Amino acid sequence: MNIAMDFWTWTAALLTLAILSFLWKDNPTYRAAEHLYIGVANGYSVTLIWYNVVVPNMIDPIAGAYRQVAREGMNWSVLNPFQEANFFVIIPMMVGALYITRFIPKISWMVRIPIGLTLGYYTAISIPASFEASILRQLEASIVTRAHMTMGFRPALWVFLVLIGTLSTLIYFFFSTEHRGILKPISNFGILVVMIGFGASFGLTVMARISLAIGRFVFLFKDWLGLVY
Amino acid sequence: MNDRTIWEKMMQVDRRVIYLIVAIVMIVPIIFPFDLPIKISKRTTLKLFNAIEKFPEQRSVFFISADLNPQDQPELYPMLVSWIRHCFHRKIKVLVMCLYPTSLGLAEQALNQVSTEFNNRASQGIGRRIVYGEDYVFLGYKPPPIVPILGLGENIFDVFPRDFYGNELKDYSTLPMMENIKNYRDMDMIGSIAANTLPVTYIAYAQARYGIAVTGGVTAVSVADFYPYLDSGQLTGMLEGMKGAAEYEGLIRETFPEEDGRRLATEGMSAQSTTHLAIILMVVLGNVCFFMQRRHESRRG
Repeated sequence: MNIAMDFWTWTAALLTLAILSFLWKDNPTYRAAEHLYIGVANGYSVTLIWYNVVVPNMIDPIAGAYRQVAREGMNWSVLNPFQEANFFVIIPMMVGALYITRFIPKISWMVRIPIGLTLGYYTAISIPASFEASILRQLEASIVTRAHMTMGFRPALWVFLVLIGTLSTLIYFFFSTEHRGILKPISNFGILVVMIGFGASFGLTVMARISLAIGRFVFLFKDWLGLVY
Repeated sequence: MNDRTIWEKMMQVDRRVIYLIVAIVMIVPIIFPFDLPIKISKRTTLKLFNAIEKFPEQRSVFFISADLNPQDQPELYPMLVSWIRHCFHRKIKVLVMCLYPTSLGLAEQALNQVSTEFNNRASQGIGRRIVYGEDYVFLGYKPPPIVPILGLGENIFDVFPRDFYGNELKDYSTLPMMENIKNYRDMDMIGSIAANTLPVTYIAYAQARYGIAVTGGVTAVSVADFYPYLDSGQLTGMLEGMKGAAEYEGLIRETFPEEDGRRLATEGMSAQSTTHLAIILMVVLGNVCFFMQRRHESRRG
């Protein structure tokens, strides 16, 4: 046994035990650790965003432009958005600040401006990209070609299974026609495929959760208590 | 109350008993570890390993988007460490970026850990020294995800004028490796380590537009979401949870015998196996109890 003497290892170990105590029942130690985590995580994120986003992208350009004007007098270059020091960033800053109008009922409609701009930007940029990556390439991958047949029995079998699975699942989720006749066994096979998918996802979820618990126990027994060599 | 059958009693067992059983089967193999053979997955782990093995030495660049959080650490941190080790062994340049603020500490820790391992070995005459700026650069954090992902395809210096430590990225005397890296065209592969769908975001925005190869290191819970992208060839291999990380650690140890760093994922694999076995037994037992109880009730009328 080679117990850790580091203060932070002890802090992490005691907080881990406090969180794990919830498995027995809810208690003040668990609550304290939970609140501490939320507080620390928020404080950490806000500080990092301030120094990594707000300062370099907003404060530094404005302060630089102000210094330039003070030094050389007013000129058009401080309005050039491609220059590192510029006043242009005030415009997106003001648009972003409109989010705060949500708390002022009389002008709360103005919040639609930044929301609209953000939505417009992301929609325009994501539709072609998602279509290419998640629809066209996936459709291409589900097509059985002659090349698949030359790859051997197992790859060919998998390709056929993917094709049949995709079609039967799509038919299961096609609700415009009643699932009768030939559609019934196909949609039944579709639900079977979906169930197998859910089963695999559940198994993987169990594996993921166990991994997290193992990570904590390895920390407790190896790094903290030094019981493992 | 006394009329309850053994099946009924077992189905109503206190959940804390289950927790205790799981804890025991998890803790015992951690304290008394035993080696179980880890089979390497060909279409995921081995495919990625072989792809990185084919990169030409010295001039290749592996761009890692390290977007792991403390809650994903047991699964994703060993993957990050393994990728960095592999690149350093193969003399491949490493660029690391984070898209979430909580990833910064873990990414920096992994880079420091692996470079210290290499430098300690180098001081004993084994292997080579790792130098910041020559072998790797830590770019730091830049939100929101899609903006830097697209920006890096055009000009890395616009997205990151400075690295995480405040060095000018264009200061080639401090960061000489940046002299030959301008955008995705100068990188060989993107490795996205994340507990969400960020690898798919890289496929959609970086691969579809700029044609760069993408791989992923993902948590087991999200693995199923990525199989379609693996089958379509959009992902060049993938690491699946702690098991994938352990497989990769094994491949590195096998290929580079001088590698003696701690294998975090492998340490947990025996506990993973015993716990899985216990859960399978409990699921089977639960079902047996359910059907036996139903049979008992139907007999009793």
